[in-house]
Amino acid sequence: MRTEHADVAIVGGGIAGASAAAYLATHGVSVVLLEKQDRYTDIVRGEWIAPWGMREAQLLGVEDAFGLGGAWEIREWTQWDETTDDPETAETVDMTRFVPGVGGPLSFPHHLVCELMAEQAADNGARVVMGARKATVGDGPVVRYQTDAGDHELRAGMIIGATGRGCTVGRQIGVTMATSVHHWGGGVRVEGLDDWPMDVQAMGTEGEKMFMVFPQGDGMARLYINFPTANKHRYRGEGGTERFIADFELDSLPDRGKSVYAAARPIGPLKVWPSVAMFPERPIVTDGVVLVGDEAGNADTVLGTGLSCSLRDTRTVCEILLGDDWSPSAFEPYLAERKFRMERLHFGAGIIAKLHCEFGPEAVARRRRVRELMAENFAAQVTGLLNMVPPEDVPEFGFSEFFAERLFRERV
Amino acid sequence: MTESLLTGSAQVNGVEIAYVDRGEGDPVVLLHGFPDSHYLWRHQIDPLVEAGFRVIVPDLRGFGASSKPQEVEAYDMRTIVNDVVALTLHLGIQRAHIVGHDWGAAIAWMYAFLMPRRVDHLAVLSVGHPGVFSTPSIEQRAASWYMLFYQFPGVSEQLLRRNGWRLFKEIMGNEGDYQRYPRELAKPGALTAALNWYRANRSPEAELRVERNFPPVLAPTLGIWSSGDKALLEEGMTGSVKFVKGPWRYERVEDASHWIPLDQPEQVTKLLLGFLGTERAATTPSRRRRL
Repeated sequence: MRTEHADVAIVGGGIAGASAAAYLATHGVSVVLLEKQDRYTDIVRGEWIAPWGMREAQLLGVEDAFGLGGAWEIREWTQWDETTDDPETAETVDMTRFVPGVGGPLSFPHHLVCELMAEQAADNGARVVMGARKATVGDGPVVRYQTDAGDHELRAGMIIGATGRGCTVGRQIGVTMATSVHHWGGGVRVEGLDDWPMDVQAMGTEGEKMFMVFPQGDGMARLYINFPTANKHRYRGEGGTERFIADFELDSLPDRGKSVYAAARPIGPLKVWPSVAMFPERPIVTDGVVLVGDEAGNADTVLGTGLSCSLRDTRTVCEILLGDDWSPSAFEPYLAERKFRMERLHFGAGIIAKLHCEFGPEAVARRRRVRELMAENFAAQVTGLLNMVPPEDVPEFGFSEFFAERLFRERV
Repeated sequence: MTESLLTGSAQVNGVEIAYVDRGEGDPVVLLHGFPDSHYLWRHQIDPLVEAGFRVIVPDLRGFGASSKPQEVEAYDMRTIVNDVVALTLHLGIQRAHIVGHDWGAAIAWMYAFLMPRRVDHLAVLSVGHPGVFSTPSIEQRAASWYMLFYQFPGVSEQLLRRNGWRLFKEIMGNEGDYQRYPRELAKPGALTAALNWYRANRSPEAELRVERNFPPVLAPTLGIWSSGDKALLEEGMTGSVKFVKGPWRYERVEDASHWIPLDQPEQVTKLLLGFLGTERAATTPSRRRRL
């Protein structure tokens, strides 16, 4: 057993952990970043970041890792949907003007961006340990982990738990999660979309599928489909990827989606997951450990704010870590801000999921009704702002039960 | 992470120039353009070495591992030509074949007409003689909305970098080492240095200062242009003939973008091997006493 020392030990080298390592290292904090993969590969994680998330990336000084890791700015959002009569007339939103100093959302290969952030952290003096497995957290605080070289013991002033939905660190410090699953989702990264407009993202629902196309430039894109839990095995087994891509043959899309289903070639694995919303049941800060990113609780993935949240967490926590007080009470502003933010995101995700990820005649009628209401009164689209601006900047009326009632029940 | 074939580095002309120096025989200097480095020539180096040449491939100032002065004035063409002269002198080379692509071709042209005695054969890819460019046609200007000489001046670093380097990616498309370029240019000072090539040499002021009376190029010259070049027209290369007094040969390459050494590596190698050392210069420059 070797004993190592650092000011901060970060468990998990995803977007949250790697950005924290890069920021802290740049500010002269001694950091060790532990990542369980031997090298970064596509394991199908979030690949869409909201403009407000990119603002956080700028504040953390990690925005170039996105651009250089293959991020592509998406400028328009066209709402192709089965409730739209003609694909040619689908409404398009310009996404480039919501946050000053930031353009539209970015779509990017997750693993390449993490790799560059880890590299940036290392260049600034952090120690990055790839292939760090079986991390356990103990009092002290201390992290024990294994690599091919043997067992290690890492003593740190603070441990940041950033292991994502696995909650590896959180579970060890007794943070249990209440969970709910609204639907399932799947995704695969593809190339060959030469005829798909790279400036345009698609999100819409047809039949039992809520489909998304997020261009990554150069004919590449991340495709997602959300589908009912009852159908969770639809892409399992042989030919799953082919079935997934074939499912983009949709009446809602221009030319019935031919520029996707007939052109897409997978360049990564297909992965399918339950779209879980997680609510921590204990404080996410203890003496010596703080949780960030999905590990600290997260909204339904359909909202697309997971990465933005991770970077907000990282920035808030790291700013505290640049101070002298690392006691649990020093993290109270983080807890308060996160609680407020997650309440809004959970509320918004609930509305979006109900609107777009429920299927069948009743759901179609509801969506048609709501879209009419939104067309009539732009304010009804308030929830959609959560994708663009930070939750605190979204008008408060969008988070009232009254608003949800009105949105879903009232006939116009 | 950075791919490098560099073998050395030298302090010349006030800057540190990193270079590849491999093989033995008649020296060949390969000059890259924007936004490349010596690495542009990766497919040509080995075959040239094996064919019996000494191959010198610098990272020109502002690029790759070489110095990156941040002031615009440091990137005057004559200064950069002097870097190449100083590097060859440092390496004990009196006379060399000069091969250039893009800005490297512009440097090669200038090197050839300013220092005819130091040039054996000249091979220029993509970019024609500056005399052709001093009076560009309407078509050349029309094709230039994003082109080599006209896109980057006036574009700020911030504009190119913002939103995940979106504008830069749009300009470069998927040609050349397009995935590598932003990563290279993100290194400290690299983007400003690279843009300074444009700022120093294609400012509106320079446009007005039309140069005439170029000394003739005496070396045997091979011009190569690719039909897939979206930025530069064929006439820029073919029109160069009137500035060449030595034997002139023109080769048009099909199925290649602007980055001919990357898109048709074997053809470029073959053309160079077939051309270098094959012809004699038009007139040996008059022997004058050295000052």
